[in-house]
This record gives sequence, C-alpha cells and structure tokens, in this order.
Amino acid sequence: MEILRETIRSLLSNKLRTFLSMLGIIIGIASVITVMSLGEGTTANIKETVSSLGSNVLSIYPGFSGGRGGFIAQRITSSTKYEDAQYIKDSAPHIINAAPIVEGYNTLKFNDYSYSAEGVGTTPEIKDIVNMTVESGSFFTQEDIDNMSNYIVLGSTVAENLFEQANPLGQKVYVITSLGKVAFTVIGVLKEQGSSIMLDIDNAYFMPYTTADARIFHENGNASMILAKASSEEETELAQIELDFLLYGLLGNENSYRISSQNTMLEAISQITGVMTFILVAIAAISLVVGGIGIMNIMLVSVSERTREIGIKMALGASRSRILLEFLFESIILTFIAGIIGVSLGTGLSNLIAGFAAQYDLKSITTVGSVLVSFGVSSGVGLFFGIYPARKASKLSPIEALRYE
Amino acid sequence: MGKIEVHALRDVSFSVERGDFSIIIGPSGSGKSTLLQILGCLDRPSSGEILIEEKTINTLKDRELSVVRNRKIGFVFQRFNLLNNMTALENVELPMIYAKASMKERKNKAKELLELVGLGDRMNHKPSELSGGQQQRVAIARALANDPAFVLADEPTGNLDTKSGEEILGIFHKLNDMGKTLVIVTHDMDMVGEGNKVVHIRDGLIEKISSGGVV
Repeated sequence: MEILRETIRSLLSNKLRTFLSMLGIIIGIASVITVMSLGEGTTANIKETVSSLGSNVLSIYPGFSGGRGGFIAQRITSSTKYEDAQYIKDSAPHIINAAPIVEGYNTLKFNDYSYSAEGVGTTPEIKDIVNMTVESGSFFTQEDIDNMSNYIVLGSTVAENLFEQANPLGQKVYVITSLGKVAFTVIGVLKEQGSSIMLDIDNAYFMPYTTADARIFHENGNASMILAKASSEEETELAQIELDFLLYGLLGNENSYRISSQNTMLEAISQITGVMTFILVAIAAISLVVGGIGIMNIMLVSVSERTREIGIKMALGASRSRILLEFLFESIILTFIAGIIGVSLGTGLSNLIAGFAAQYDLKSITTVGSVLVSFGVSSGVGLFFGIYPARKASKLSPIEALRYE
Repeated sequence: MGKIEVHALRDVSFSVERGDFSIIIGPSGSGKSTLLQILGCLDRPSSGEILIEEKTINTLKDRELSVVRNRKIGFVFQRFNLLNNMTALENVELPMIYAKASMKERKNKAKELLELVGLGDRMNHKPSELSGGQQQRVAIARALANDPAFVLADEPTGNLDTKSGEEILGIFHKLNDMGKTLVIVTHDMDMVGEGNKVVHIRDGLIEKISSGGVV
C-alpha cells in the first residue's frame, strides 16, 4: 500500500514527463483497440448479413470453366434449369424447399420515375427459403407462374425510390429491356430485410419465373441459380452432400455446377477478416513495443536522477527488494494508466470512425476480451520494460548512491 | 588488472556505551568516512567485527543489514538528505514505513518527534520551504523514528551557519540528556569539547581515545 502511494507521489512529481512517457503506450493501446473493435464490428456485420438469409440455405450455381465468358456460356448452354428446383425438392431427403432464379439488372419505370435494380424471376417457394415477408399486397402464386401473369413484387428500397409516398399496389410499372419495355402490375411490396450475400432482397423486384424468362431474360429455362433450404441448420451439410450427389447424377460433370452454403461463405469471409484484423493488430502492437522502450528509457533516467534518493532510502532501511518494487510499480502503474486512457481513447476513436463511415455499414464493437487483453498487454509491457531499470536501482550500493551528486 | 586493496582502517577498536555522546574526530583522509560507513552498516569491514547490542553484523545478508540500519541506527547526514517531494512529517515517517508500523502509530510518533526538535508548526512543509537548520532538525527527528540503538551523525553542522549549528548541538545534548546514544563523526576540532568520549583517528589508525570535557 505504502509502495503504491510512494509510486504515485513520484509519478505526480513530474507530470509532464509521466504523461509523455505514457503517450507511446496510450497510442499503441488506442490503435490496437480501434483495429480490434472495427475488425470485430466488420465480422459481426458480415455474419449478420449472411445469416439474414438463414444459415440453412444452399445455393446452386451453374459451374463455369474460367472467366466471365465461361460463366455466361455455361449458363446459356447447360446445367441448372428451371425444373431442377422441383427435382431437387422432391429427391433430396433433407431439402425441404427449392426455388429457381433467373436474374438480371434492369431499369424499372413508373411515370417519370426510373430505378435500376436486380430483377428476379422465381417461384413462390423463394418466400419461405429466404424468409421474406410481404408488407402490403401479396406475393405471386404457382397459378401466376402457370399463367405467365405480368405481376411484380417490389423490394422495399425499390418501392421507395419508384413511388416515394404513393401507394404502389395496382400501379403499372415497366421493365426496360434491350428489346423494349414490358408492363407489369404491382401486386405486393416486401418488408425491409437488410442485404445479404446471395440476394439483396430490398433492392430487387420479383416476377413469376415463366414471365421473367419469356419476356425479359430469354434464358429458355436455364436458371441463374437455385436456392435450396435444408431441413435444419445442423442438416445443411448433409443436404449439401445429397445435392452434390443428385446434381452429379443429373449433369454428369462435377464442373457444371457449384454448391455453396452460407456457412462456407461465412467461414471464408471470417477467415479473411480475421487475418486482416490480426495483421493490423500486429502492426499496432509494434507501437506498444516502441512505447515500452520509451518507458524503459525514462525509468533509466529516473533511476540515475534519483540515485541519491535511493541511497537515502537504503540508509534509512529500505531493502533492495523494496527499491526494486518501487520502481517496478512505477512502470507498471504508468503503463496501466496509459492502458486505461488508451482503451477509452481507442473505443472513442473506433466509434468515431464507424460514425463517419456509417454509409459503408462499418460498425465498432469493443469486446470485453479486447479490453482485458489491452490491459494485460500494457501492464505486461510495464513489467517487462520496467524490470531492468528497477533491478539496476536495487543493485546500487548504498554508499555510492549516497555519494552521488 | 585486479583491484588494489587499500586498507582505509587498521586496528580500529573502540566501544560506545549506552547513553554515550561520542565524537569521532579526524582530518579528511583519516579514514573516518570508511569508519562511518562500517558503523552505519552501509558496508561490511573486510576484516574485524562490528557488534551492535552484542550481536555481530559481519555475517548478515543485505536484507538483514537493511533491517539493522532501519531499527538500530539513526542517520543524520551533513547535507540533511531529506526527500524533497515529501513533507517534514512524511520524511520522519519513512523509516517507520520500512519498519511496517501502522499509519496511526507513524503519524503520532512523527508528530511527537518533530515537536521534540521544535518543528511542531512546520510539519507539513516540504524541505525546500525550510531553512538548513530546520531541515537538519527534521533529519534528527527522522533518525529517532524507530528508537535506534544509536544516532550516527556525519558532520551534522558542516552545512550550517554557526547559530544553526549551535542549535543542532543543543538538540543533541537534549537528546543525550534523555538517554539517547550519539556518535558524531567530524573533522571540526571545536566539537572535541562536546562529547563524553572522543576518538581521534589519523591515517586509518586510532591516535587516542580521550574523555571529553563537558558531559
């Protein structure tokens, strides 16, 4: 206790120096916290995005052999077809639902308003697979697909941009294609859902598959992708194996299709953000080492400045270990306080950055873990870089220390 | 190239009794500083023996020596050697902190001692706010903090003007009258008359031991 008071007294006796020597650690900890918080926020963001679709969703793409041209060629010539969705749903025991998707980027027009978004031709099953909710009106039915009805359901962002305050239901909108424009009647508007990796539902519009294919995309039944839903999250992997088996049997070539699950995407992305965060933290940690050397330097100066004081204390009966502890405490307290300031500064800074970059959906999450690690590391730096100066102080001979001018 | 051993002291043997006011006197270079360091347990003699209260200190480890310095010896230095960032009271408390006395004990004892040396009204002043004589009085109070076996003073009046020096000597006599044991090391021949036992040393040898005039 007394050592602690003694230490604080000596730190306070030279405030400017104390602050300057802390600065290195403060900056180091602040940058570590900032990077960790933003990294954590980004990872959480991605996870949220991915899981908004439901983590038991599998997507099947037509395979391709190299390049964009390969992809398009493959899509046109072969692999995943409209009927495959029904086949998958019926044949794979752990797939409870599947929907084919044909898609393209087109401009929508309503009166003088126009808006470009992802056009999606699909079947009503999509609603269940990606958990979409109709806010007003209704979604198209199987009957509409059979009849090739000109119905359209708008994502929330699309509806906002095209209609602003007006009621879209029953209105005529036009999809502009390279061959002209196709008229559709709005029968529903979807609830805002947030974007996901596979499908940005808010920024898309949905039409019966048959209508979309025949009037807009002209793919002749070749699907851009098929979304399939596994019976549960745990059985997603099993469902993926079944799908692989089915599609291989169907297409006879493992290169003509790709199956990806939310989890594999999530893993891949988490790995990338994890590595990025680690690299950035490592770079930030270098400043901690630099800060630590600064502390050591200042402690060495302090030891030689206070040589006489050390001598006096030894003459009065302070043991070597007591002198050692005094100096060690000083550097640890110095770095610990620097840690506190650094953590609060870093938290503030990462929130500030996240605030400025809000349009990129950047989030800052400061975890208890990263705060604890920061305190641990900063105190550890104090301990590590404080030991040498403290030992030096404690090894002084009392006579020489007393004689020191 | 080894170190050449120089014997600063040879055949120095004397004793200080409880209640003595001893003066160790000698010109500079006589070895009195070395004697002071050994008496103060800041160093161990290369040969010979130091006994404090019949116990040898020769075989003590560093840690045990620091305990002896803390409990048995009260230092008073020529240059006062107070800690500048502490108040007078805190300076006096310091040896008691090392002796692990409780806060209340410490405060009471330190106040009592500062009143004894006539600084009851200056307790919360820092050394820089005190005159040389006052600083030395704080140092004396500090030396008495753990009721040591003896007070060891190194040229206690060396840095003071005559008047302050006399005041300090007055305090020493007062302490001696209270039964405190004092050992004063000096080169100042005027001090000869102050103690009841005077050890003259020259060139590392004891020239003579005489009994002093006054006490």
